[in-house]
Amino acid sequence: MSISFIQAFILGIFACLSSMPGMGSSSIGNYTLGRPLVGGLVCGLVLGDIRTGILVGVAMQVVYIALVTPGGTVSADVRAVSYIGIPLAMLALKSQGLDPASVEGAGLATSFGAMVGTVGTVLFYGTATLNLVWQHMGWSAVEKRNYKMIAVTDRYLPWISHIAFSLIPTVIMLMLGQTVVEAIKTYLPMDGLAMKSLFTVGSLLPCVGIAILLKQIVRNVTDFIPYLTGFVFAKSIGINLVSATVVAAMFAILIYKLKMLELVRPAASAGGGLDDDEEEDI
Amino acid sequence: MAEKKLSKKALSTSFHHWYWGHLTCFSQEHMQTFGYLHSMLPLCQELYDNEEDLARSMNTYTAFFNTEPQLGTVIVGITAGLEEARANGDDEVDDETINGLRAGLMGPIAGIGDSLVVGTVIPILLGIAMGMSGGGSPLGAIFYIIVWNLFAYFGMRYLYFTGYNLGGKAVEFLVGAQGMAIREAVSTLGGFVIGAVSATWVSVQTSLALYNADGEAYLVLQNKLDEVFPGLLTAVTIIICWYLMAKKKMSPIKVMLILLVVAIVGCAIGFFNPGLSY
Repeated sequence: MSISFIQAFILGIFACLSSMPGMGSSSIGNYTLGRPLVGGLVCGLVLGDIRTGILVGVAMQVVYIALVTPGGTVSADVRAVSYIGIPLAMLALKSQGLDPASVEGAGLATSFGAMVGTVGTVLFYGTATLNLVWQHMGWSAVEKRNYKMIAVTDRYLPWISHIAFSLIPTVIMLMLGQTVVEAIKTYLPMDGLAMKSLFTVGSLLPCVGIAILLKQIVRNVTDFIPYLTGFVFAKSIGINLVSATVVAAMFAILIYKLKMLELVRPAASAGGGLDDDEEEDI
Repeated sequence: MAEKKLSKKALSTSFHHWYWGHLTCFSQEHMQTFGYLHSMLPLCQELYDNEEDLARSMNTYTAFFNTEPQLGTVIVGITAGLEEARANGDDEVDDETINGLRAGLMGPIAGIGDSLVVGTVIPILLGIAMGMSGGGSPLGAIFYIIVWNLFAYFGMRYLYFTGYNLGGKAVEFLVGAQGMAIREAVSTLGGFVIGAVSATWVSVQTSLALYNADGEAYLVLQNKLDEVFPGLLTAVTIIICWYLMAKKKMSPIKVMLILLVVAIVGCAIGFFNPGLSY
């Protein structure tokens, strides 16, 4: 299995659309095309092996299920995971003769994804930095009241950043694919410390994603209780995510009603107090 | 003077500019500011014939903006309503009100949005989709593409027009008593679901075991830990990451580097062993 220039180019375009900040914006770009599960389908279609693409995508999606980018800090770059990591992992699996559905196959895919995704954050900072140039042009146009430039700045100029930091890196990495995969295989044997560590990091990294989400919610130690309750429901009682959401919604409704009582009642009693004063005046 | 009313077409163009452009020209310095300007442009151009007024209004939206983009659509809608009020000579709406409101809403909306959209909706949809895609079927991926995009497009559209119609009232709703109660409820919901997500999809395991002379393991640490609390190691690792970022103010990248060191040391001493081979 090898990747032709045309295939690499098509995947490069998807990388431009899907990255954060991507040309497909967040709904279609980052949250759809950038998800490794969807990336797996796209790579599978382009490279002509949907089954392998999807299986590799699923393995990588597990790592990045809760990938948030609060305040523009990224812990992994989705364009690199989905459109460099997945095709390279597919190549590696083929060249090793591993079944992507096997534990080893998923392990290989996950480590590839984690490695490429982490290194790929360079691409994120590259794009965001080059965008400063377009924004600078945009600002001076706004000052001159040339509002046509806003659309150009927002919609067209960032493509240049993406050609530099999404398209070209993707095409180069994929064209060198077979060589890169061989090099990784030679220098990083699976049972060596480097690959073991890489895979272990792959299983530790989701903790950071979850912790970033928790940072938004947990302020006091008691705020951990809902989190741990959800954890216990899924781990010890074994309910699935949809059922967990139903239980969570029940708690949410209770809290909403309690909070409303707490917030509305003092206001009402304060109003009552005012009435008393008026009566006394009379 | 006739009351100025934004046309359906201008509002729709504005919404689509936001939908497609909120994160295209992103930089660490201005984040979503250009997306916001691009979204307000068709509205301001329709409301003001006078170049001075147009320039004044556009200048308002050059202030920094960044929030959770899906839920944040409501803020764009609210400012559309406020800009219309300003064009009709409402003295209470000026740069300060609009930007105070934007700055005041960015934080709470990002908080709710991250726990609701990124923490709850997306992991649930992905969780279902991954189940459907087991064995390499494309069904799950297609399911996710369709359901998420319908949800995002119509949800954002609804938020935009709700924000526009409610205007200032939406602000009261979002930061008033009811808003506070909703935030509490949503963060509980989000916390609970994120807990379930981490228990289902995150797994930190140790391979540390002690063997007796016959080669039988008499202490398998993972089993002992799970007897104390199932998934103990996973929960503890996540809480440590939270502690480092929330209390020690470390950046996610730094925490990841620490995890890398932990992984290398852990693998070297045999605490971690993913058991891989070619």
